[in-house]
Amino acid sequence: MKEIVLNQDLEYRCSSSEKELTFNVASNSDVSLLLSDIEEMELLNFEVSDNATLHLAIFAQKFLKNVKITANIGENSKIIVYFADFTVERNHLDASINLNKDNARAEWHLASLSTQKDDKEIAVNIYHNSPNTHGRIDNYGVCKENSKLIFAGISHIIKGCHQSTSHQNAKIVVFDDDCKAIARPILKIDENDIEASHAAVVGKVNDEHIFYLTSRGLSVEDAKLLITLGYLKPILKGFNEQVREQINSLIEGRL
Amino acid sequence: MATLKISDLHVEVEGKEILNGVTTQISEGETVALLGPNGHGKSTLLNVIMGHPRYKITQGTLLLDDVDITNMTTDERAKAGLFLALQNPAEVPGVINSDFLRAAVNATREEKVSTYKFYKMLDSATKELKMPFDLATRSLNEGFSGGEKKRNEILQLLLLEPKIAMLDEIDSGLDVDAIQIVADVIKKEEEKGMGFLVISHYARLFDLIKPTRAIVMINGRIVLDGDTSLIKRIDQTGYEFIKTELGIEIEKENANMNTVSIGTCAVKETIKK
Repeated sequence: MKEIVLNQDLEYRCSSSEKELTFNVASNSDVSLLLSDIEEMELLNFEVSDNATLHLAIFAQKFLKNVKITANIGENSKIIVYFADFTVERNHLDASINLNKDNARAEWHLASLSTQKDDKEIAVNIYHNSPNTHGRIDNYGVCKENSKLIFAGISHIIKGCHQSTSHQNAKIVVFDDDCKAIARPILKIDENDIEASHAAVVGKVNDEHIFYLTSRGLSVEDAKLLITLGYLKPILKGFNEQVREQINSLIEGRL
Repeated sequence: MATLKISDLHVEVEGKEILNGVTTQISEGETVALLGPNGHGKSTLLNVIMGHPRYKITQGTLLLDDVDITNMTTDERAKAGLFLALQNPAEVPGVINSDFLRAAVNATREEKVSTYKFYKMLDSATKELKMPFDLATRSLNEGFSGGEKKRNEILQLLLLEPKIAMLDEIDSGLDVDAIQIVADVIKKEEEKGMGFLVISHYARLFDLIKPTRAIVMINGRIVLDGDTSLIKRIDQTGYEFIKTELGIEIEKENANMNTVSIGTCAVKETIKK
């Protein structure tokens, strides 16, 4: 497997010949990685050493096969992931983050747009393997037409990993009667002295929200668009200006 | 002069009649206090005037400046000059307050405002309301305190400059200082010509905004229309005199009202069951 040492910020376009990649983040470093063209990838692995921070931004916009993401996070280290999923057709993403040492942290933000006949299943797992580890998963999705979108994932705090916190949030806004959306955030907790929560919301755009926005002069269509953008746009803050523009035009083109 | 005329308005929700023959009018430059016990249709009336799709008008008309708005959509009514400050403004995650405000300002004006002009407007309105400017950059009402939500409603009023503004318990959730700020805004806008229809259960707000008229709604109908001495009387003695002097039996809520508190709509809570 190809290995890349990250000791400075990097923008990396995966090539079609690569199937597996490992990024190593050295101790005491704070780096940003922007990954694109991950379409042909099968495995992306991230090793974050002690006292390090990795800001990972992934932008996927075409076809995606079965991609697996793994990450191992060291002591006092952190991974912050922004994943913009604008892939089409079938997509199966499976991410597992291991918080292996004291004060290891993971933040995962994903926005997914599912339209037409897309069939997507996104599973994000965080494993708390040490005390005082902290994980947060926020998955936001928009599901339209005949598409299918599943958010799954397990936050697992194993026995003895006290003082850990784990929060999961999965929200999908559904547009049409023929689409299928499932949010399944699972907590597996084997320790008492922890803090954990999970929330799942799947539903149409709230009528009271539409009334509120239309009562200020917005048309129903504009109100729906603004509310929907509210699900997808928070992901933008993880990306640079150039990618933001690309994501914006993708959203506006496909909504 | 802008006038909202409500004539013989009958309204149903899920087959249950909530308003049965409301007739009244509000003109620009006047402030009308709308009083009445919980669950007698005050909030419903305001929502119906704004065109909430949940309520069905079965009879009667709404005219704004002699234009029939009875069948207009909510956004058309907003564009025509109506505004409703909600009792419980919704939290809309992800929708940035300033994006929403700008879309609203542009929707209700013929000419779009420039980014620069919009921020000038926003800056001056937030200062007037003593609101931190950063509230404008957060998600719409999400994580706002009760008082911040209410100020945000008045912020929208200032930016949209409606002809007739309806305020549904704008004072609930506001502390004494904030009530004063909101009352000052109402007085100032009234002098400039805005008309107000105001629901409140507390005489404090009315003491500050000094309404020009008071109307009392009982059993889904306006039963009294008079001067502001009505506010004082009701504040001191309640609604009992309506029964003894007018011979109107005040229908009790047959539903359990335990779920109703300040900041909830009694009618909505009742029809939930």
